[in-house]
Amino acid sequence: MPEAATTALWLSVRVSVLATLADALVGIPLAYLLAKRRFWGRQALDVLVTLPLVLPPTVTGYYLIVLLGRRGWLGGPLYALTGWSLPFTWYAAVVAAAVMALPLLVRPARAAIESVNPDLERAAFVLGRPEWRTALEVTLPLARRGIVAGLVLAFARALGEFGATLMLAGNIPGRTTTVPLAIYTAVSTGEAAEARVLVLVLTTLSCAVVVLASRWGSRL
Amino acid sequence: MIEVTLQKVFPGFTLDVAWVAGDEVVTLFGPSGAGKSLTLQCLAGLTRPDAARIVVNGRVFDDTAEGVHLPPQARRLGYVFQDYALFPHLSVAENVAFGLRGQPAAERRRRTTEVLAQLGLEEFAARDPRELSGGQQQRVALGRAIAPDPAVLLLDEPLSALDAPLRRQLGGELRSLIVGLRRTVVLVTHDLAEAYQLGDRLVLYEGGRVVQAGPKAEVLGRPASESVARLIGLRNVVRGAVLKASSDRIEIAWRGQTVEAVNSPTAPFIAAPGTPIAFMVRPEHVRLIRKDRASLDPTHHMNFLRGEVVESIDHGTSWTLLFRIAAPGPASQGAYDLEIEVPHLVYEILDIARDRQWDVSMHRGALQVLAGV
Repeated sequence: MPEAATTALWLSVRVSVLATLADALVGIPLAYLLAKRRFWGRQALDVLVTLPLVLPPTVTGYYLIVLLGRRGWLGGPLYALTGWSLPFTWYAAVVAAAVMALPLLVRPARAAIESVNPDLERAAFVLGRPEWRTALEVTLPLARRGIVAGLVLAFARALGEFGATLMLAGNIPGRTTTVPLAIYTAVSTGEAAEARVLVLVLTTLSCAVVVLASRWGSRL
Repeated sequence: MIEVTLQKVFPGFTLDVAWVAGDEVVTLFGPSGAGKSLTLQCLAGLTRPDAARIVVNGRVFDDTAEGVHLPPQARRLGYVFQDYALFPHLSVAENVAFGLRGQPAAERRRRTTEVLAQLGLEEFAARDPRELSGGQQQRVALGRAIAPDPAVLLLDEPLSALDAPLRRQLGGELRSLIVGLRRTVVLVTHDLAEAYQLGDRLVLYEGGRVVQAGPKAEVLGRPASESVARLIGLRNVVRGAVLKASSDRIEIAWRGQTVEAVNSPTAPFIAAPGTPIAFMVRPEHVRLIRKDRASLDPTHHMNFLRGEVVESIDHGTSWTLLFRIAAPGPASQGAYDLEIEVPHLVYEILDIARDRQWDVSMHRGALQVLAGV
């Protein structure tokens, strides 16, 4: 395998793992909140999380630039303060992949949390557990199948992320060129052999993730 | 010891109840939607009442006037849910130990073993609760609730998830178990037999209110009103009109007959002639008069009635006869006026299957006048 392809593969794996971890940290509490609490702006939050699923990825990427770019709402003050900006770093690829994959975790996780029998949670309250302990000991363990399914989907989505990544992280060989971007570059520059190898690798990897996840999932 | 005063208003339904109980088994009985389960949820702190004062063994759980409302975690009471709500991801032993958190591990193990032994569940300790039968699951739920030694045990429809034969058998076991706790036990049921079997004290709910409360024998023997008598399933609750009322006797016109009842010694029912009045007589207190005995003994055969058995229902060891008085006009209870209960043997000796015309009598002491028509 050419060295550029190997680099792209390792970058893709690293970006997807980190994006999935970030989604787990943000998405599971978010799913719990959306499932359990009635608060002001809940509906808006729900729409916001779901938007990347329905918008073209380039549009999501555009919003991310507006938010995180060197002159962005958050990116501007950050640049002024530290002289560092996110776009065109490999972190930008992680952020783009995480945002695009988040709804694929939140939606099944939320449905699974909502389907846990509320009497089980009440039983834990009566037996002395505060809500956060009840969530950790009862609700989330019982919703684990939905959460794991969501994590697998999110990882697969992150691995294949293209449009938003291109917008926010660009396509810098060795730095932000993930496998999907490398495939695009190879095809558009006529390097058919390299494209073929990367397509095969990505297909195999995605299949492996799905198979392993379903084997693991059935033992949960 | 528990003192409960509760108010909670919903659109179209208001819960407004007050009752007290000692270290005994209290049954909240009433039709579905009467507010029994809601009361239990308020006791456990799972639902917040609009106004309440709940005191258990001197500890104030709720006092709206003082701004006190303990969360469920701080109440330390046992709750057995209707569907048991066992944690399906934990073993039987882990379920029972769930409420023992915060105690030293050795003590937790000792108490779990003790409770499992008490309930005959030792052999299931490591099992998944979903593998157990309904009755075993109920015992696990009970074990989980009593393991932390709660001041009060609440049970929501404890037997309703089981099928009938099992229900009778487990009812007895449950009764001896909860009586053995020597704690206040509050249980909710809409099943009359269950209420009688399990409870010492009955609190009758109807439409969000308590219509009567007291020791079960008292409620059963002295229903406070006609609606209570119907609620607790008493038979032969019928209506007539006052003819003459004095402090010890009351004469009632009913179905064209005159019947005489003993007036209540504590709260006599004194009303002007013509006032509607309800009374009841237990089906086993209506006596058939044998035709082979010559003369009627008037001191023995009071409230003499002539009529016909229109239907008889076989209960295995006894028969219920539906008796219609030989008088024109609609009968008191649909197609009949009285239910009469006779043992199987009497039914056969008197050949009631063939002979349908009978005279009956009711002792005046067996007629009970009910307030509130």
